[in-house]
Amino acid sequence: MARNKFDIDEELQPQFNPHYVKRLLGYLRPYGRGVSVAILLMVTAALVSLAGPYLIKLAIDDAIPKKDPKELILLASLLVCAVGVIWVCQTLRIKIMTRIGQDVIVRIRSDIFRKLQELPFTFFDSRPHGKILIRVVNYVNSLSDLLSNGFIQLVADLFSLAFIIVFMFIIDVRLTFICMAGLPILFAAVFLLKRRQHDSWLKVSHKQANLNAYLSESLSGMKITQSFAREEENRKIFSRLGADWKAAWIPAVMVNFAIWPVIDNISTIGVSLVYVAGIVWFKGTVTVGTLVAFAGYIWRFWTPIQNIGNFYNSMVTTGAYMERIFETIDEPVTVEDLPGAVDLPPIRGHVEFRTVTFSYDRGNPVLKDVNFVITPGMSVAVVGPTGAGKTTIVNLLSRFYNPDSGMVLIDGIDLRTVTIRSVRKQVGVMLQDSFLFAGTIMDNIRYGRLDATDAEVVSAAKAVRAHDFIMSTDDGYLTQVNERGMRLSMGQRQLISFARVLLADPRILVLDEATSSVDTETERAIQKGLAVLLKGRTSFIIAHRLSTIKNSDVIFFIDRGRILESGTHETLTAKRGAYWKLYAGMGEEVNGEG
Amino acid sequence: MFPWLWSYVRRYRFLMVFGLVLAVGVSALNMVNPTVAGTIVDKVILGGQRDLLWKLIALMVGTTLLKSLVRYCYQMMFEHASQNVIRNIREELYDKVQGLDFAYFDKTKSGDVMTLMTGDLDAVRHFIAWVIYVSFENALILVFSITVLMSINWRFTLIMLSVTPFIAFFALRLARRVKPTHLRVRDQFSRLNSAVQENIAGNRVVKAFVREDYEIARFMAENEAYKQRNLDSTAVRVRYMPRIDAFTGLLPVILIVTGGLMIINGKLTLGELVTFNGLMWAFSNPLSQVGGLVNDFQRFSASADRLFELYKRTSRIVNPPEPAALGRAKGRVEFRHVSFSYGDGPILEDIDFVAESGMTVGILGPTGSGKSSLVKLICRYYDCTEGGVFLDGLDVRRLDLRDLRSNVGITMQDVFLFSDTVEGNIAFGRPDASFEEVKAAASLADADGFITEMPEGYDTVVGERGVGLSGGQRQRIALARLLLKNPPVMVLDDTTSSVDVETEERIRGSIARLSGAHTTFLVAHRVSSLARADLILVMGEGRIVDRGTHAELASREGYYREVWLHQSGREVADRVPSDADLVAAGTGKA
Repeated sequence: MARNKFDIDEELQPQFNPHYVKRLLGYLRPYGRGVSVAILLMVTAALVSLAGPYLIKLAIDDAIPKKDPKELILLASLLVCAVGVIWVCQTLRIKIMTRIGQDVIVRIRSDIFRKLQELPFTFFDSRPHGKILIRVVNYVNSLSDLLSNGFIQLVADLFSLAFIIVFMFIIDVRLTFICMAGLPILFAAVFLLKRRQHDSWLKVSHKQANLNAYLSESLSGMKITQSFAREEENRKIFSRLGADWKAAWIPAVMVNFAIWPVIDNISTIGVSLVYVAGIVWFKGTVTVGTLVAFAGYIWRFWTPIQNIGNFYNSMVTTGAYMERIFETIDEPVTVEDLPGAVDLPPIRGHVEFRTVTFSYDRGNPVLKDVNFVITPGMSVAVVGPTGAGKTTIVNLLSRFYNPDSGMVLIDGIDLRTVTIRSVRKQVGVMLQDSFLFAGTIMDNIRYGRLDATDAEVVSAAKAVRAHDFIMSTDDGYLTQVNERGMRLSMGQRQLISFARVLLADPRILVLDEATSSVDTETERAIQKGLAVLLKGRTSFIIAHRLSTIKNSDVIFFIDRGRILESGTHETLTAKRGAYWKLYAGMGEEVNGEG
Repeated sequence: MFPWLWSYVRRYRFLMVFGLVLAVGVSALNMVNPTVAGTIVDKVILGGQRDLLWKLIALMVGTTLLKSLVRYCYQMMFEHASQNVIRNIREELYDKVQGLDFAYFDKTKSGDVMTLMTGDLDAVRHFIAWVIYVSFENALILVFSITVLMSINWRFTLIMLSVTPFIAFFALRLARRVKPTHLRVRDQFSRLNSAVQENIAGNRVVKAFVREDYEIARFMAENEAYKQRNLDSTAVRVRYMPRIDAFTGLLPVILIVTGGLMIINGKLTLGELVTFNGLMWAFSNPLSQVGGLVNDFQRFSASADRLFELYKRTSRIVNPPEPAALGRAKGRVEFRHVSFSYGDGPILEDIDFVAESGMTVGILGPTGSGKSSLVKLICRYYDCTEGGVFLDGLDVRRLDLRDLRSNVGITMQDVFLFSDTVEGNIAFGRPDASFEEVKAAASLADADGFITEMPEGYDTVVGERGVGLSGGQRQRIALARLLLKNPPVMVLDDTTSSVDVETEERIRGSIARLSGAHTTFLVAHRVSSLARADLILVMGEGRIVDRGTHAELASREGYYREVWLHQSGREVADRVPSDADLVAAGTGKA
């Protein structure tokens, strides 16, 4: 898969896809009743507000010339009622729609987040994390206005537009037609702007994603930056990305803003035409009051059109974000439960790889035709040069990936026929990357088994010899650590993640360089404890230290995706092959060359 | 906070003032059309002056054209100004963050900084690009309409103005109540950002432990809380904004009642009433927007508060005012009775040693004994609490940070690669390096082989944190990054733990061959990595518990010897060292 980096735009989709709008509306469907009520309220408010100019027309045409204070007061009271009704409607509508809008935002965000939990490592490995983050948080947020206001405002605007047209027709058919003469020009203008608008907003979203990705990454890697004194260079890149964003933003808003002058001028021309028509063309057939009222309606006729223009603008602006969101939700899941997959029953720990071939990138196989059988309770050490495929073997075992060909079987069951979670629950992996979450040390260990008691957490920590250093921190198990477990040394972090795996109590235990940064003393102590812990469990250990691997029941020497040699430390040493060359020389080497 | 923001806006003040001047013009032009409409009714329709109609229409159309074009121009001016302002703020804050000390990054979630640099900056952008001129326009339109109305009939105008105190009252109320809700919204936004960011970064662990449901539940708590904060904020707005709207809505009522009565009493003409009617929007529109603008302003001010907090933060590690000059260092490193703590318990106590230029210093010790902390003091990631660290006889606190750090290179335990090409990652410390130099450095780190074997070779894009690569591959790329920079003092903090022994041996050979004298610090757990060091420091609980060469340390009882024996595959238990061992050890570094 082609990997994306911070300064590469993600692929462009040439045309705005109205399908996404439909999907967004789909989220509103469960709230059909609330939305209808809100629309009703809005239409009522719009209708009632239309009464305003009419009542004023009555006052100017009728009550005032007749010098009739009673009628005037009546009209005024009607207007007050209208204001009251509008007030109530607006308040209720905002309340209803904000809630619905926020609910939908929560749902979209949770859909995209859930999807992220299903996506394979490759999804996260192949693009900067900042570009994923911005989709879940910022992009979804940008939909909030569209959802709580945009859509129903549009419906209401369409309604009020219809009502205004009806009113205008009632007052004067000819003037109405004249007033609407500007519309085709408007449509033509919008049509001309459309394509450019979509393209430029897409570009903005890319540039924004690039900037965010760079920012997010440079925050994570700030210590490296400082240690290489590269601040100046980073600043230049950051500045360039900021300039790129601005360069994309300005043309985009330029197109967006263009819609207002267009509407403004067309509407003025419409009004002028009405005056000309009323006064010159249809001389004498139009009353002063009608003209005045009509002028009031023309502006009101253009207000919803202006709103629809705004809606259209925000639709295009957020359209680019919408595409990114739904794209993520639609991202194919490469490893998923087959239909009819059952839970893996409690296992004994028999593992078999049957002619397994696997590649992350097509055409570049990492494992080639790997075969082996491990009986329950055996401990297996996987060794070999870096990049030989050691981690890949264990990745397949927990079914983080499916093999390209061949089969991985546990207790004789093909892993593809069972549910992923049932496999991972019984195969515990301690990854190379000892990632800790923000929270207390206690929380982090308990991540292995959420219902573990404090005592169980402590005993897991004791088993990996982490208890002592944990107790020596100020708050003991309640010490706060964060993301990368800063403050703790690498070795300490490894011990905590080790305890986390042990607590999960898996039948098959995979230790991927679990103790590479732990001192030998501690490691030895752990191993003593491990002997007890590993009893009855199948274990896979990836390590470079001889002391870690030599007591394993079987050692696989992997090179370039194949198992080159296998056997115990003794037999492999006796064989004087690749393993011996790589490892058995270790002790001697120190003596001989020291 | 405002003086701080002003320092950025200042540079664009002429542009913005010019924009506002244009806005004055546009707002004045806004008065034309309603007046023209009134005149048409008064003079043309009622007064029968037909010949005026075309002139008036031309005036109306021309005004609109001019007005909309000018407005478009200054809208773009404000967009430019706002983009430039936030670019400057963003870059300055980025610099700020780049200059902050490690202690800050130990404690701060990157999601929180992300929020500041995205959501909060956008609130500032919105304020400058939109709120300023819209408020100004509205204020002007209000003033103009009042002036025009006053000139027509001041009594009637004053009556119309009677609603404004109420609107002002509710607007102030809204301003006061809504700001805290905006602060809570943005702080929750920040938490949400951090939660998602952490989940993405830790996606492997989540999957390994099948904790998807747990993660979803945790995320939903933040997600729901964010919704709640938003609803809380809306609740405040919903209380005040419709009230402001309602008072604005009363204007037509006042218009017909008082207007009507005044016409009946002969104090107002019908044409004047029509003009009033036409200008009423100019009067009521700004008033009805007060609520929204107040809300936007408070949102901006909440964000600006947080940005200013970041700006005010000071780094504990700063450049000395007059740094001592240091070119390319010779590489003599000295620790003089150094003690250090992160704030709680002591991490290092009384560390005292000298590493002469060109020496290799090995550091060994149990997990958490202070090895990494010790080497981090050399590059001044933290300042020691007692004693001093000296490079070429100069206290590191007297040196320019850039100077110091370009002389002392470190590879950290936690290898971080950027989502860039392999070549870009290796050239990180020297972006101007040629491809040949990059390749040479990779060869030295024994990375050239596997890099070349990848389909895209040096152009392969590595995922963030280098997760597409194995641990050993990452370590070797990080090492190549350091070797390319080739600083006189090199610190390898457990850099080869995930590399096999043979490779490690090759790497050590190439470091020895590097041009120029290098003082090297090796933190490792494998004795084989340290055996050839000129000086080995054995650490225990923050102190140097033993020191010497491999030969010396291996021949006496202690932590080092135990580790050595264990790693050589020999059992320590009750084992007396054989003569052969001692002889071998003795010949070692003699």
